Amino acid sequence: MNYTVVLLTLQVAAVATAINVPIAIGLSWLVVKRRVRGRFLIEVIASLPLALPPVVSGYFLLLMLGRDGPVGIALRETLGVDIVFTWVAAALAAAVVSFPLLFRAVMAATETVDERLELSARSLGAGPIRVALTITLPLAYRGILAGLLLGFVRALSEFGATVVVAGNIPGRTQTLPLAIFESVQLGEDADALTLVGVSMSLAVISLLVHNWLLERTRTGR
Amino acid sequence: MTDNFLEFRVRKRFPGFEVDCAGAFGPGVTAIFGPSGAGKTTVLNCIAGMIAPDEGEIAAGGRTLFSSAGRTVVPPEKRRFGYVFQDAALFPHKSVEDNIGYGYALTPPDEREIELGHLIDMLGLAPLMSRSVKNLSGGERQRVAVARALATSPRLLLLDEPLASLDARYTGTIIAYLKRIARELEIPMVYVSHSLSEVTALAQDTLAMENGKAVAFGPTSSVLADPAISAIADYSTLENILEVEVLESGEGSSTSKLKVGDAEFVAPATDMPPGGTVVISLRAGDIILSMDVPSRISARNIVKASVREIHDVGDRVLVYVDVGHRLTVEITENALNDLELAPGTDVYLVVKTASVRMMT
Repeated sequence: MNYTVVLLTLQVAAVATAINVPIAIGLSWLVVKRRVRGRFLIEVIASLPLALPPVVSGYFLLLMLGRDGPVGIALRETLGVDIVFTWVAAALAAAVVSFPLLFRAVMAATETVDERLELSARSLGAGPIRVALTITLPLAYRGILAGLLLGFVRALSEFGATVVVAGNIPGRTQTLPLAIFESVQLGEDADALTLVGVSMSLAVISLLVHNWLLERTRTGR
Repeated sequence: MTDNFLEFRVRKRFPGFEVDCAGAFGPGVTAIFGPSGAGKTTVLNCIAGMIAPDEGEIAAGGRTLFSSAGRTVVPPEKRRFGYVFQDAALFPHKSVEDNIGYGYALTPPDEREIELGHLIDMLGLAPLMSRSVKNLSGGERQRVAVARALATSPRLLLLDEPLASLDARYTGTIIAYLKRIARELEIPMVYVSHSLSEVTALAQDTLAMENGKAVAFGPTSSVLADPAISAIADYSTLENILEVEVLESGEGSSTSKLKVGDAEFVAPATDMPPGGTVVISLRAGDIILSMDVPSRISARNIVKASVREIHDVGDRVLVYVDVGHRLTVEITENALNDLELAPGTDVYLVVKTASVRMMT
């Protein structure tokens, strides 16, 4: 079995989740707790990849990051790098597609924190940022962790956007779903089934932990 | 500027409801009294800075906290007002000690006027400090919430129905603690409640609200007798809640002896040893007034008192009497006419032992 595929898949999903978590927490705080103007727009844009075919998200990323895309040009001119068709592009694709799941879970977790606790903290002298760090986050963290896992699982299984913006290059951008697709295409059923087994195991473990976390959140530790 | 500690005028619109209320509160305890849905909590939350009025001004100690005209909004963390929620709202992920320490740590050392140790002693919290807040009784939770708010040495303590969701057996204790805080720490309080008994026991002034508007304001005794509030007040629930000294606990017998003002009352036995204090409740409607000393009567308490004020509140009459401690007695209009009561008259209070309820 090819361990590079598994390691690369985990690396891509981990990086995607690491990018997403702070953004999801920050946006949730703005939307749920600060109720900023334009929060409905933020919600729609952040959830869009959930409603779109992943290929569309990937194509959009390609337009942004590609040779003639604004981000692509900026990166080439400042850092001298081209990230399209690298594992970084795969991580970005996984990040964009998994973001809505993570964001919605984090929003739900943030919403469950009793506003009166936050107001108590305010009346005790804590500013909004301190309240977020000492009250909201510690009380929402299980829900946030559950959301993180959900996003991670989605990132593990990302295919459509990845293939558009990162291609399917064995050893460089080929993650589990892409490797399975290739094995199936080539009729290598044994390889395909092995990879399917790995994929299933990762998904089941992540979902079990996810459900356990949610259950603990519900029953209050 | 008067010696009012807090002055406000707030207007806040909700769908189908509007709160439009003004007040000027002095030091001591001021109650905001009214039925549920009257807008009491909205006013309190405006004062605390937890919601912004649509329009109005709020000033405390000469400092403007909110002004819709001057576009001033001081956030709650800069107001230094303690706030106690109905259900305590303790931080569930912190111990009792960390709950109390939360605001204390955020208070600049030179503004810490209340010493933590004193506060913990005063509220009897020492045995609870290392506990998780999840295993506290309702009464303990509320005491921790009060301590947490006071630990910041607030300039004003706001309480939103702090007894409403408590078991009756805890309310007496909390009332006694609050009275002690008001007396010893001299922190002005605004106390929101729909209970006549709590208001009578705690507040020297009362603002009565109905339908989002203030309907009466002044000393509690006059406000409770104000015709404007007879419509919203259920006098049959009115209890005299008093903290009194135990003279005899009543070991070996079923009755104890308590010192109520200058008088002695026979009450059900208590665990409190002589010299200690208990909180008792005496329903205003359970006190019988008699012009002569009744003889051969089962009621154990016949106490001489002097009538101070008489207020006709519709079909009921509130009589304030003095036994060295003020008590409210509720009688009917017929009884008033028959007895020919007038301020200054001496009367005898007739009270059954069982009518003296222990609240601690």
